[in-house]
Amino acid sequence: MGKQSEPSRARSKLTHLPVIGSIARMDPWWWLVVIVVGLIIVLVTARADPFWDILLFVRDGIIVTVVITVTAFLLVLIVGMFGGLGRLSQKPIIYGLSSLYVEVVRGIPLLVQLIWWYFAFPTVIQQIGRWLNFAALANYQANAIVTAIVGLVVCYGAYMSEIYRAGIQSIPKGQTEASRSLGMTRFQSMRHVILPQAIRVILPPVGNEFIALLKDSSLVSVVAVADLTRRGREFMATHFNPIEVWTLIALLYLVMTLFSARMVTRVEKKTHYER
Amino acid sequence: MEPIIQIENVHKHFGEVHALRGVSLDVYMGEVVVIIGPSGSGKSTLLRCINRLEEYDDGSIVVDSILLDSAQDINTVRQEIGMVFQSFNLFDHLTVMGNLVLAQRVVRKRSNDEAQKVAFDLLGKVGIPDKANAYPIQLSGGQQQRVAIARALAMHPKIMLFDEPTSALDPEMIKEVLDVMLALANDGMTMVVVSHEMGFARAAAKRIILMDEGQIVEEATPDKLFTSSSNKRTQQFLSKVLQQ
Repeated sequence: MGKQSEPSRARSKLTHLPVIGSIARMDPWWWLVVIVVGLIIVLVTARADPFWDILLFVRDGIIVTVVITVTAFLLVLIVGMFGGLGRLSQKPIIYGLSSLYVEVVRGIPLLVQLIWWYFAFPTVIQQIGRWLNFAALANYQANAIVTAIVGLVVCYGAYMSEIYRAGIQSIPKGQTEASRSLGMTRFQSMRHVILPQAIRVILPPVGNEFIALLKDSSLVSVVAVADLTRRGREFMATHFNPIEVWTLIALLYLVMTLFSARMVTRVEKKTHYER
Repeated sequence: MEPIIQIENVHKHFGEVHALRGVSLDVYMGEVVVIIGPSGSGKSTLLRCINRLEEYDDGSIVVDSILLDSAQDINTVRQEIGMVFQSFNLFDHLTVMGNLVLAQRVVRKRSNDEAQKVAFDLLGKVGIPDKANAYPIQLSGGQQQRVAIARALAMHPKIMLFDEPTSALDPEMIKEVLDVMLALANDGMTMVVVSHEMGFARAAAKRIILMDEGQIVEEATPDKLFTSSSNKRTQQFLSKVLQQ
């Protein structure tokens, strides 16, 4: 990382003015983020009615969307790691269970899964509770946000498992042999040698998963979660101005995804092998 | 004196292929044994059985008085057996220092200071003390292989295994690696080396083993093997190798 700053420092000397230099060095795609943010600001200030009202109304929905996406994503990283390791396990039971999980989940639409977790799962739990005569389960009520996060994590965890599996498999066998020949256990070899290298390989697809998850989080609006999309629908239901509402909502999602994509690129560059 | 490696009638199959067909070999403390033979003769497989990177199907291997197939904890045995690979297999995400320190810390449980001291000493020994902070991809093949040797030596093993350590190197880099191995042999390290480097075999080996089709064809001192072998298969192989 120390070396990477050298060429950029050399270039800023050429441009003399540090501010212009740093703008010139900026990834051109940042401009798109700037333009979309600028467009939102123009709309909100130039036509405060309805755009400012919409923004105020959906404000808490933005927070819900971000919280759900970030929470789910962190859990997906963990579930995916275990799923991926399970898919590489030599123990038939672990391999079988993780493969079953991946295959089943990948074969069902996310929307159907979210609906199942919200409407069907609580009933299943209640009936089991009644059958066991266990009040805590029989009176189980689903929390919408928790259920939505569970649904997203279960689904995206399966896709993430495959990303981890492919990443780990892409590390040459010689790395495992070298670490094992030094006396490391299977776990130590995975922890200190294989995973650190696999993570660099999987970073681009993992970043893409984050952006996909951010967009797919809009599906939770159908299961009683007041996210950005649902707040937009609520506003439209009382004000009947679909063009303004959905244009602004689309722009808000676009800002979030474009910004995330820029962050992913930055992290990728930072973790590249130093040469 | 009891041999530190005792290989007794070992068999190994890869599916249909019978890779090792009843190999027996004893290696004593401080000995350098070089295994030669055509490709596919099972010499690398035999070497990899010694630290159980491959598991044998039949027979027995005893290393440092521990029978490998019943070893409760193979990792304790492996701490005493350093291995150097044809393709170096350095950990690309770590610096040279990181490569040398990692196993010392997590396996030998040495402190960071202690591990770094061992590492610096060894980098001096293999002739690249200035490369401690370099990453493997910044090094030449010869330098990488010397780091790999130092990484194995940092564990202070009793035995060193070399699996064709110079086969992936450009000719001008072979010598720097062989020099390190020769110095190690002169220091009294117990070494089992699979190699086509006849010069090294002649200079360092106490015994040379010739393998073919999963069996040991001949076992002799370098002098005897190179000058007066009566074995037809040996003569055939040597004439091919020495022609090059």
